[in-house]
Amino acid sequence: MAMIECDRLTKRFGHFTAVDRVSFAVEKQSIFGFLGPNGSGKSTVIRMLCGILQPSGGTARIAGRDVVRETETIKGLLGYMSQRFSLYEELTVDENLSFYARLYGLRGAAERQRRAELIALTHLEPYRQRRAGLLSGGWKQRLAMACALVHQPPVLFLDEPTAGIDPVARRELWDLLFDLSSRGVTLFVTTHYMDEAERCSHVGYLYLSRLIVCGEPDALKQLPAVNPPGARRLEVTCDHVTVGLPAVRRLPGVRAATVFGQSMHLLVDATVGEAELRACLREVQIHHADIRPIAPSLEDVFVTLTSQSHTERAA
Amino acid sequence: MSAPRWLRGFRAILFKEFLTIFRDRTTLFFMFFPPLLQIIAFGFALDNDVKHMALAVYDEDRTEESRALVAAFVNTRTFRVVREVASVAELTATIRRGQAYAGLQIPPDFTRNRRAGRPAAVQVLVDGSNSTTALQALNTALGVAFQKSVGILLAETGRTTVPVEVRPQVLFNPELRAPNFFVPGVIGTALQIATVFAAAMSVVRERERGTLENLLVSPLSRAGLMLGKLVPYLCISLTMATGLFLILRGVFQVPIAGAVPALFLAALLYIFALISLGLLISTKAQTQNAALQMSMTIMLPSIFFSGFIFPRETLPGIFYAISTVLPATYFIELMRAIVLRGATWADNAPALLILAAMGLALFTLCALRFPRKVT
Repeated sequence: MAMIECDRLTKRFGHFTAVDRVSFAVEKQSIFGFLGPNGSGKSTVIRMLCGILQPSGGTARIAGRDVVRETETIKGLLGYMSQRFSLYEELTVDENLSFYARLYGLRGAAERQRRAELIALTHLEPYRQRRAGLLSGGWKQRLAMACALVHQPPVLFLDEPTAGIDPVARRELWDLLFDLSSRGVTLFVTTHYMDEAERCSHVGYLYLSRLIVCGEPDALKQLPAVNPPGARRLEVTCDHVTVGLPAVRRLPGVRAATVFGQSMHLLVDATVGEAELRACLREVQIHHADIRPIAPSLEDVFVTLTSQSHTERAA
Repeated sequence: MSAPRWLRGFRAILFKEFLTIFRDRTTLFFMFFPPLLQIIAFGFALDNDVKHMALAVYDEDRTEESRALVAAFVNTRTFRVVREVASVAELTATIRRGQAYAGLQIPPDFTRNRRAGRPAAVQVLVDGSNSTTALQALNTALGVAFQKSVGILLAETGRTTVPVEVRPQVLFNPELRAPNFFVPGVIGTALQIATVFAAAMSVVRERERGTLENLLVSPLSRAGLMLGKLVPYLCISLTMATGLFLILRGVFQVPIAGAVPALFLAALLYIFALISLGLLISTKAQTQNAALQMSMTIMLPSIFFSGFIFPRETLPGIFYAISTVLPATYFIELMRAIVLRGATWADNAPALLILAAMGLALFTLCALRFPRKVT
């Protein structure tokens, strides 16, 4: 069953179209990664799905309920963690949770019990009496998530939950997301990190207000557009990759080349052989290179599709 | 017990607002400190009844009679002699330098003319740069001359009473004490600044921080949010009003002639209107800075046009029109009526009703404009 559905969802601000006919569906219990550059319209889509921004066109449903006509109903079905930390900094962890629990109608024993569950889920126990403003970034995000979960929503929207927090906190937050997913919660996460996108069960890429691709990461990597016929992807590991890169780029038949740490990722015509590459590298004094075929990464997918979309729109 | 649908979330907001207000000492301080400062400053400093004004004297006559004239000036308690000068030039220079507000020149033939039954003229120079002190100096000087003349005429004619006598009786503020006039008005402006601004800020801060978005996603009702913001600030402002009334009575010794419940009802209605105004500002202002500017734009006219300092009747048409839509106008009017004149409920009813209507209108307008969605 689709927990989140959009059909040609559109938002215009004056003459500017922030979201242009976006359609997708997110199945129950999946982790949907929503990617795209800043200003591409990700937050606008989330706000429309949460019922706090009126769409200009198209429809959106949460668990089958229309977000415009049944706004009050969907409020009980979704949790929303906004882009920046937005809790009451002068209140303690406990007080913030207590406030949101009361806001969703929990009282007395029910409220205390739900608070205890969320504290346990997010491991916030040691910080219960601490003011929210004094928490570090990762703990703030946990608290924000706990607050978004007070009413046990089946759908949780997280707008860039890991922006600006350290790698350990980031990893822990994702563990928490997997935990929630295993409990049946459907997650909708925006992010700029490719490694986070790879962790999602489904991803969508928004570019210039349009959804240019959507699907399971593995399926996207198999797209013909990403794997053009008569071409293959190679990883070349060698010393001085930054010296080798411009040399390789000049070689006929090399369609794209970029650096990943100690190696280069190339998209080359099938006619370009290993010997040819090695000879080219020797000209710039690189004598040892490991060359192996690789599958495209999600970044390759997004880069390829973005430039393609750009060319199409320019035409 | 669960809240009715239209009030959903009210108690949660109430709980959070009270916690926030008492946690955030700076806001609390800035709500209470400026009004207290204002009432103390205005009560003690704003006194247009000038006493012991500096007077320079150029006495060319130097007789017993000329000295008696100077003494008559001093005995009014409006003047005190700060300097005896030796020339007219020095007299004007003393006033020009601001060392005296007025100068008294008694010519050398003063006593001679008096004795000969000729008109004896003295010159009084008054610094007109401050109209209040100038007017008072002028009136006092004329009064002194008039009284002297009447005394002399009575002696010459042998009569013991003046032909026409005015017996004034000042009602409500017999000693004409300035605090009695100013302090009730100050309560109006002092309450206004703190209340409007604090109410506007409490919503705008949520907008700036992004918590308003979280509230919009929740099932919180519009009435729940507005009343949840209104009630705590109503409590705080009423506490403050009580404090200001106590200062009025205790520190400035202004007797409260009317009914104390009427005083509190006026304060309640006024504060309700002010908070509604603050919340209305918050629907428009996107940042705390904008909220501050809007509050100031609305509050400044109340200082000048509400009758707080200048009588409304002297205002030109357009400003008089402005004064009729200011809640402060009616509250200050009520304060003076209840505190000083001991006005009855029937006397106060029109102003109380107008205040109530203003509050309801502002609150309704605010309810219509309060955000349900982000923009």
